[in-house]
Formats: sequence, structure tokens, C-alpha cells
Amino acid sequence: MAATDFEWPWQYNFPPFFTIQPVATTKEQQLQSWRNLICDYHKTKRIWEIDTGSDLFNNSAINRHLSPAAIRLILQNLVQEGQGVMSGERCFVLWNSLPQWGSLIHSWAADSGLTNTVLTLFEIQSGDETENQPFHGMDIWLLQHVISHLEKEGKAELMLGDNEDFSDAGVKFF
Amino acid sequence: MGGLFSRKKPVSRVTEQDKAVLKLKQTRDKLKQYQKKIMLNQEKERALAKQCLDQGRKDKALRLLKKKKFQDTLLERTDTQLDNLEQLVSDIEFAQVEIQVVNGLKGGNEALDELHKIMSLDDVEKIMGDTEDAIAYQKEIDDMLAGGVGVEQPDDDALLEELGALLGVDEDVGEKLPEVPVSEIDMPEAPSHKLEEEEEEQGNETQERRTLVAS
Repeated sequence: MAATDFEWPWQYNFPPFFTIQPVATTKEQQLQSWRNLICDYHKTKRIWEIDTGSDLFNNSAINRHLSPAAIRLILQNLVQEGQGVMSGERCFVLWNSLPQWGSLIHSWAADSGLTNTVLTLFEIQSGDETENQPFHGMDIWLLQHVISHLEKEGKAELMLGDNEDFSDAGVKFF
Repeated sequence: MGGLFSRKKPVSRVTEQDKAVLKLKQTRDKLKQYQKKIMLNQEKERALAKQCLDQGRKDKALRLLKKKKFQDTLLERTDTQLDNLEQLVSDIEFAQVEIQVVNGLKGGNEALDELHKIMSLDDVEKIMGDTEDAIAYQKEIDDMLAGGVGVEQPDDDALLEELGALLGVDEDVGEKLPEVPVSEIDMPEAPSHKLEEEEEEQGNETQERRTLVAS
């Protein structure tokens, strides 16, 4: 995982940014900035799951951090705007929307001549064939979630294994 | 996936063979992970061996390298297993393709059979026979019509005589034509003469062309 040096936006070093603003319009802007920051951060570092303990929500340089309530609010807002998805306590970032991810993965399968063949989720996530694809390394739960979405469009069928964490699941693209 | 389907789940397009292939591929994935683990381990031990050498602990370094060698053979064996798996997967997938081809041929054959039932060999023979009869009949009609309605056929001999007469007239015309001079003395002069003529002719031609264009 190539963790590129992330450039923090100015808001990150602005103390009030870590307190949910009371004024509605300011709060809207603040939430939007948080959404952008979260997406950029995770996309650049290629991290799929939000870690509430990361330096994203804790800026030790200015000694500010988001309270758990603030984090909850921000994540709820993220999910509401379609840029995040929850699975129990875990929150995944969707810097591409679900349909976009579905289309990226399906196009890759179609272009590689892999439609109508069985693939494991593991090989889509970590195989040599997807090395340069934007979805390489995607968390298995998220991958499965994207594929369920494709299922609804009739473009794929998920094949469940015995493991609850989908680690042995497969898929057939059409 | 959640019970969010408001209608019945669509028919599955996953066959038993697909499930078998999935299991094979899962085994392949596990082998690959195993290989990766061993390779990482090898890297670590190689680094460690180097460290030992630097520290002068030659025998430990040797032992580590020996272990690495053993792991190399493990990797080789897993490679062979992987090849076997890939081969089996590819065989199954190819068999699936073959089945599709056979089904396609079967469908095509059935369609052809249906068409043949519509048109039997006897039918074709009858139609061909009828067509032949019709053509022969038409020919008879043509011959009858060509025979003419009481028109006299001119005598062939009389025709030939007339032809001869025509040819004779032509020969007379040929005799009246002046003889073409063939004297040799004239010959050398001919080239320069000819050139002048050609130039003249060309001049005439261009004049002609001009008149043509003008019109």
C-alpha cells in the first residue's frame, strides 16, 4: 500500500473545524468540508475503512480532535450523502459511488473476457490481474457490497461460501 | 444481502460446475497465500542471515540459508500443485464451452430438419419434372409460331446468288482504285514527308478540337 504524503486542507489546522458549528449554514459547509476531507484522505492513502483513532479526526499539532458525538454526526452525514456505508460498527468510505464502483469492476471483468466465468472475491481484491485497478485491495465486505448492487442490475451473481466474512465468496459476472 | 427484495429472487445463473470451479479457485487462492507467506518468510530470514554474517555468526547464517533452501523446494511443490489446479479449472471451463457448441449444433440441426420436412425430395422431383414439361411445351409453341402464318420461305439458292451479286460489285470498285506506288526511291523521302503530314494532321486535329469545343 503506497501511502502518499497527504496534504491537509486549511480547515484541518483551523481549530473551530473540530467543533460542530451551531449556525445551520456554517454547519452545512463544515459537514461538506469534512466529507471532502474524509474522501480525499482515504482515497489518497487507499484506506477503505474509517479508523476513528487516526490522525484524520485528531490533530495533535493544534491539540484538537472530534468528539465521539461529532464523529457520529459526521459519519451519519457521510452515509446520507452516499459517500459512506455502514456495516455494524464499521464505516467504509465511498470516494466513488456504489454504482461507479460496480461499473469499474464490471468493466474490468468484461474487458478481461471474464464474464460468465467464476471468480473468487479474493482474486478480484488481491490478484495479480487487478494490480493496477482502482479497486485493488478493496475491503472484502465492501467488495461484496458493491457486487450485491451489481446483482440488482442483473450484471453479476454473488456466490456465498461458508464463511460469514465473505472471505470465501465468489462471483459470476454477466 | 438483506431481505429487501420485494419480488421473488431471479433464477440463478450459477451451475453446479460453477460451484465446483469456485471451490477449485478458492484452493488456488489459499495456495497462493501460502506461497506469499513463505516468500515473505524467506526474505526475512535472508536479511537475518546477512545480519548474522555481519556479526560473524557464520554457522547460524548457514542454518538460516539451509532453511531457505528447504522453503524453496516447498515453493516448487506448491507451484506444481497450482499448475494442476489451473489445468483442471481450465479443463472444466473448456468443457462448458464445448457443451455450448454442441447445443448450438443440435439446435441448428433441428431447425434444418424442420425445414426439410416442409420440402421433401419427392416434392422437389415433381416440381422439377413439371418445370421441364412446361419448358418443352413452350418450345413447341415457339416453333409453331416461328413456322410463320403462310409466309413463304425464300429459296436458299436464290439468296446465295444475290449475295454473290453484291460481292461482285465490290470487286469492281476495288479494281477502279489507283495503284499504291511502291517505288523504292520514294521510300527514303517518306519519313520527312510523313513528319510534315503528321504535324499538319496534328494541326488539323487541334483545329478540329477547337471547333468541337466551341460548338
